[in-house]
Amino acid sequence: MSNILTIDQLTKSFDEKVVLDTVSLDIKYNEFVTLLGPSGCGKTTLLRLIGGFETYDEGRIDFEGVNILTIPPNKRKINTVFQHYALFPHMNVFDNIAFGLKMKKHPKESIQQAVSEMLDLVKLSGYEHRRIDTLSGGQQQRVAIARALVNRPKLLLLDEPLGALDLKLRQDMQYELKEMQRKLGITFIFVTHDQEEALTMSDRVVVMNDGVIQQIGTPEDIYNEPINRFSASFIGESNIVDGIMVKDYEVIFEGISHTCVDAGFKKQEEVDVVIRPEDITLTQPKENTIQGVVTDVIFKGVHYEICVMVGDREYVIHSTQSQEKEDKVSLNFGPNDLHIMRKSDD
Amino acid sequence: MTKLKLYVIPYTIWMTLLIILPTIMILFLAITDFNLYLKGPFDFTLEAFSVFTESTVQIALKNSLKFSLLTTLIALLIGYPTAYYLANLKTAYKTFLVALIIIPVWSNMLLRIIAWEKLFFPISILNTFGISLDWIGTDKAILTGMLSMYLPFMILPIYSVLVKLDHHLIEAARDLGASRLQTFMNVILPLSLPGVVSGIIMTLLPAMTTFALPERLGGGKVILIGNVIEDAFMKTGNFQVGSMISIVLMIVIIILFKGIMTVDKEGETLL
Repeated sequence: MSNILTIDQLTKSFDEKVVLDTVSLDIKYNEFVTLLGPSGCGKTTLLRLIGGFETYDEGRIDFEGVNILTIPPNKRKINTVFQHYALFPHMNVFDNIAFGLKMKKHPKESIQQAVSEMLDLVKLSGYEHRRIDTLSGGQQQRVAIARALVNRPKLLLLDEPLGALDLKLRQDMQYELKEMQRKLGITFIFVTHDQEEALTMSDRVVVMNDGVIQQIGTPEDIYNEPINRFSASFIGESNIVDGIMVKDYEVIFEGISHTCVDAGFKKQEEVDVVIRPEDITLTQPKENTIQGVVTDVIFKGVHYEICVMVGDREYVIHSTQSQEKEDKVSLNFGPNDLHIMRKSDD
Repeated sequence: MTKLKLYVIPYTIWMTLLIILPTIMILFLAITDFNLYLKGPFDFTLEAFSVFTESTVQIALKNSLKFSLLTTLIALLIGYPTAYYLANLKTAYKTFLVALIIIPVWSNMLLRIIAWEKLFFPISILNTFGISLDWIGTDKAILTGMLSMYLPFMILPIYSVLVKLDHHLIEAARDLGASRLQTFMNVILPLSLPGVVSGIIMTLLPAMTTFALPERLGGGKVILIGNVIEDAFMKTGNFQVGSMISIVLMIVIIILFKGIMTVDKEGETLL
């Protein structure tokens, strides 16, 4: 499968502050790619550069083999769903959706047909003549998506489109967006700071921080094999502990030696050890294991979130079994549950 | 609620004394033959309405319409681009430049009219630069004067709409394939219409009713409806005719205000 979009060494700064630092990224046809990171990480700037709303310093973005960075946004076969929808308040639903086709001077009948097909797709048939300000957030969201999709873009950019919706609606829309993407065969680039959203919807996730791509991978890769401390802490909850690799397949932390599946580190190298909360099981205190005291138990619905103090470090454990506060417990995990990563430079 | 009512008292007194009572008086004077000096009994009559058949009044009305419409049109043609330019400025000078437009409005209008008058005489300070104008009593004198008085009132409401315009809407239009011109015609212009309507009213109304400006710059040759009203009250003492013209003008103005309210519901662009 070939690439629809190739971003090469893209660099951008605002007033001396680098927001994108030599970013390179390939996106394949029909892929659902999510740019994930905290606010200010450069993900929105990257999206705006692809859309054509930002100037760049260096690098190139090839869309189907042609550098588009010098092409104005109205000449790009790319459409955007904006963060706050940016629907035209002086037009009704029909005119909003028809806008792109009208600008391209499509004949009236085909506009009429295309718009009603789109309204069907986003389940808003019958809303043609409604004013934008009479629609709910979720409905506005759908109009924004229809307005972009009616132009049959090859690439759709979505800038935190679900941010303003409540939880239930958001989950529904996640599912619907994914469905639409499959059905229409359009490449989606989705920007979010919500890691759960990223993991649920994407074929691939691009984790960004400080204008630099930290990790690119499938949701499973990103979750199970975070490449550094940032990735691990940003995606899902993690216990991150300082450890020392004594030799291949052996790491010491909390004063105890543990078998692990990682190799290739220097002798005695200081490392970060990441353990996911759901990978730890609690048992009665046992010899040769990490022991601690339960300080807090919070019911979370599917599981209990249990906090255990080991020395002066707090571990978070997810378990379907509750514990009594003040109980002494042992933390158990297998070699596969330990993710060893090199210390970041900072 | 009672607290709120308390705050409203000064405003109510103000409105009653200075707006409502005089308006009722003018209305009364316009539709009766009551004489303010002689007092005595009176009858209701619309005979003052016949003043609109007099040629001087008709010419004055025509002049007022001509100059106020021309001023508004030219102010719009100059004002919109200026407001657009100012609203899109990204420099720190922006506030300073907007202030430059507002500051002249703070000085007395009569003083500014007299300043123009001095410049329009053949012998003026302009002679220093080798220029001598003889403009008093000409259309261009009235137009220049009106434009300089009312242009800020056209620029500011348009500016205040454009500066608040959500920039994402422009990006969205461009994203959907609209060229710069299409974006302006389909998004920016329609969304700034409330400001344009406010600007038109703010320019048209004072231009239509002014009397000081034509008196000074018209040199007795250009008479506007404001001058006719002023003469009726101050010179001939015919309050009935003066009131009648005032009331008719007021009705026209109210209709215009109705117009602005339908386009600009919140009145947010009015100063």
